Amino acid sequence: MRDVVLRTKQEYLIRYKDGNLYCELADIWIDPSKPVKRALITHAHFDHFTFGCEEYISTKETAILLKERVGNNIKIKTFEYGEEFKINGINISFHPSGHILGSSQIRFIFAEEKWLISGDFKLQKDDTCKQYELVKTDYLISECTFGLPIFKWDESNKIANDISKWITNSPDKTSLLFCYSLGKAQRLLNEISQTNFKGNIYTHGSIHKMNNSYKKLGIDIKDTIKIENKKKIDELKGSLILLPPSLSKGSYLKNFKNIQTAFASGWMSIRALRKRSGYDKGFPISDHADWDGILEVVKKSEAKNVFFHHGDSETLSKFLVEKESINVLFFGKQI
Amino acid sequence: MSLKNFSELFVDLDSNNSTNKKIDVLKNYFLSNDPIDNSWAIYLLTGKSNKRFISGRYLKNLFSQIYEYPEWLIDTCYLKVGDSAEVITLLLKNKSTTRKKKLSNISLNELLSKTIPDLSKLNEEEKNLQIKNIWETLPEDNHLIFNKILTGTFRIGVSIGLITKSISKLINIDEEIISHRLMGNFEPSIDSYEFLINKNINLQELNSKPFPFLLANTIEDKIFKNSINDFQFEWKYDGIRMQLIKRSGNVSLWTRGQELVNESFPELVEKMSHIKDDFVLDGELLVWNFKEQIAFDFSLLQKRINRKSPTRSIQIKYPIIFIAYDLLEINGRDIREIKLENRRIELEKYFSKWQIKTENNISDIFKICDLIFPKDWPDALTYKEKSRENNTEGLIIKKKNSIYSSGRKKGIWWKYKVDPMQLDAVLIYARGGSGRRAGLYTDYSFALWKDKELIKFASAYSGLTNIEINELDKWIRKNTIEKFGPVRSLKPEMVFEISFEKIQISKRHKSGIAVRFPRITKWRKDKKINDADSLENAYKLMKKIS
Repeated sequence: MRDVVLRTKQEYLIRYKDGNLYCELADIWIDPSKPVKRALITHAHFDHFTFGCEEYISTKETAILLKERVGNNIKIKTFEYGEEFKINGINISFHPSGHILGSSQIRFIFAEEKWLISGDFKLQKDDTCKQYELVKTDYLISECTFGLPIFKWDESNKIANDISKWITNSPDKTSLLFCYSLGKAQRLLNEISQTNFKGNIYTHGSIHKMNNSYKKLGIDIKDTIKIENKKKIDELKGSLILLPPSLSKGSYLKNFKNIQTAFASGWMSIRALRKRSGYDKGFPISDHADWDGILEVVKKSEAKNVFFHHGDSETLSKFLVEKESINVLFFGKQI
Repeated sequence: MSLKNFSELFVDLDSNNSTNKKIDVLKNYFLSNDPIDNSWAIYLLTGKSNKRFISGRYLKNLFSQIYEYPEWLIDTCYLKVGDSAEVITLLLKNKSTTRKKKLSNISLNELLSKTIPDLSKLNEEEKNLQIKNIWETLPEDNHLIFNKILTGTFRIGVSIGLITKSISKLINIDEEIISHRLMGNFEPSIDSYEFLINKNINLQELNSKPFPFLLANTIEDKIFKNSINDFQFEWKYDGIRMQLIKRSGNVSLWTRGQELVNESFPELVEKMSHIKDDFVLDGELLVWNFKEQIAFDFSLLQKRINRKSPTRSIQIKYPIIFIAYDLLEINGRDIREIKLENRRIELEKYFSKWQIKTENNISDIFKICDLIFPKDWPDALTYKEKSRENNTEGLIIKKKNSIYSSGRKKGIWWKYKVDPMQLDAVLIYARGGSGRRAGLYTDYSFALWKDKELIKFASAYSGLTNIEINELDKWIRKNTIEKFGPVRSLKPEMVFEISFEKIQISKRHKSGIAVRFPRITKWRKDKKINDADSLENAYKLMKKIS
């Protein structure tokens, strides 16, 4: 077997090509941003999916969620978590990444060399999806969306209590909470249903649809009322409405009277971003790992070599090289 | 009472709540906390003191030392956050899991009257140890407040007005009275808070109340259909709008923002108190060039506004004048219902009387505004264009037969402002913003052509919409030539229309000129860099006006 250290960048089992992760030996792309022959999909968020691929491969849950979102006209092959399948002699398997329902890390094993793509992941508790599974590897390609030590997440039940307080402290207002329709919304609903807030919860159609998909997949999601366009304004007083962030700007808000708005996102832990966001309030809750989370995964994975993408990889890399003596590698040109 | 309540108050006020909600939040805070904590809260929220006990840099170094964090990592975080106190607060959160000590539950009073001032009695080593100890025993929610007070950066979007309103609501007494009570050296103490919420009003307090200000509207074309003789014309000064009140011997200076500013301008208060009559004047406060009889730049006035009890030398260096343009009350008689032209007659009459009869000469600090008499509307336009020459912003046009009503009532007072000067310039540098704009490139430098070279002539950071800022930020990141710390030099490609109010020779700048209030008024995506203006055009602009 060849000594892995001597390989050139082009010879890594997985590399960056045209801004996407690509495994040449298997001729397979991971979450490609343009149509390709074969694509592994880590999870069903739209920034990880593109139309027009000949074949998609994902977990069962991701496939179902994707079909709910984009229709049945895509060809998806599915595998269970942990189930190994072979492409061109490479063993590939999905493992829970804790990001949203169905989300996965993807492991490649070839000639006894292990590669792990973290996908989007978090370690925090989330009852609406499988808990992150620790997978050991030689090479780790990790996301680092929140790869700065200023990011440290609070327990999600604390955030849920803050949200509950925010609503109940303004009983004469309609509270609009903006969050991603898939994953974040369901996690929030699950957490909020365990707080003191017992008022009505309304959801936008896009969220309602995802709730139903989660329920079909056996996840317990609190029943909510789908928001109709001409709801009587008085009925909404004191209640919570979950909406996708795309509706926060523009005329949609005119459907409501006397509102307060908030955004649930990890970025809201920074005051400047919170102020700039235009929302009245920000709740810092994220489905990505915080700084400690990333470091923990890097260490526990026992990876000898680490790559980072999605985020401030420079800072995290420098830190790991300086403080932890971990070998951080860079793909040729990252986009 | 613990610091926790104040931290919660900060969070509530910092959320983008409605004014009414903020007032309620404040009112509830005052109701449920000790008088002493309340007085500290008022002291902090009104920015009465922003003493810096240690610098942001010191705080960052200390954290780096204690927790063995690389300084560059803290600096990187700072670029994202834009505030040292907040960076350290967020980083401390990451350390909280290693904390074992019992949490303290100190009050706002204890923190501000003892814990923090005591730090300056310690030597450096003890001080560092003490800060570390406080970090590790203070509940996490209080870190931001502590760090901000420590670094003298406690600022929040709460105006004195909001505090005034909430106290006013709390005890059901007029805002002007509370304003008056909040005036002066508000020293945090039980007494000062009790004085603030005292339900008995004394006569002097009643006497200081200003009238609601009448405000001017931007000019509309329909005015030109009227006869020019229906209007009174004045220069529009760029100073502080103010009501100067003297009742029962006491003088009070009120800004339009309902702030009592007696302490900033003691010489004016003193001089005016020699006048025998009682009165309410409406006018403008300016730093005045007595030699040329025109106003100095607003920037000089800024040196006076926020300085309480200015020294004699400051008073001489920045000599002020109050220019009255209206008389609203005379010897207890409210004359706001009298026509403007008649009020003007009264104003002139009393002014000459005061000039002769007042013991001390008042004309070195007080005058009434000169009127302008354009023949017709084109002539008025000529006056307006000339306004830069005497450092005014244009004209104020007032209907002669109008009464002094309140607010921005249409059709009574008009402002006819001179158009800004404009040049098209090329974006050449960008710098990261701080505070609310942290993490984005929002401070820009612009250049004009000199032969084949682009010479920097102005920096501006306002005028773009949030969407444009984001778009430009992306462009900047992709088109950086070089990075020098937080500054990036950029590929010359983007042209912007820059507007400004004034242009003058400056030896300090490479371009040889300095402009006032530069701001972006248009993103000229339609223009190529060769279409941008030259320095020569800027010089021409300067000649044209002087």
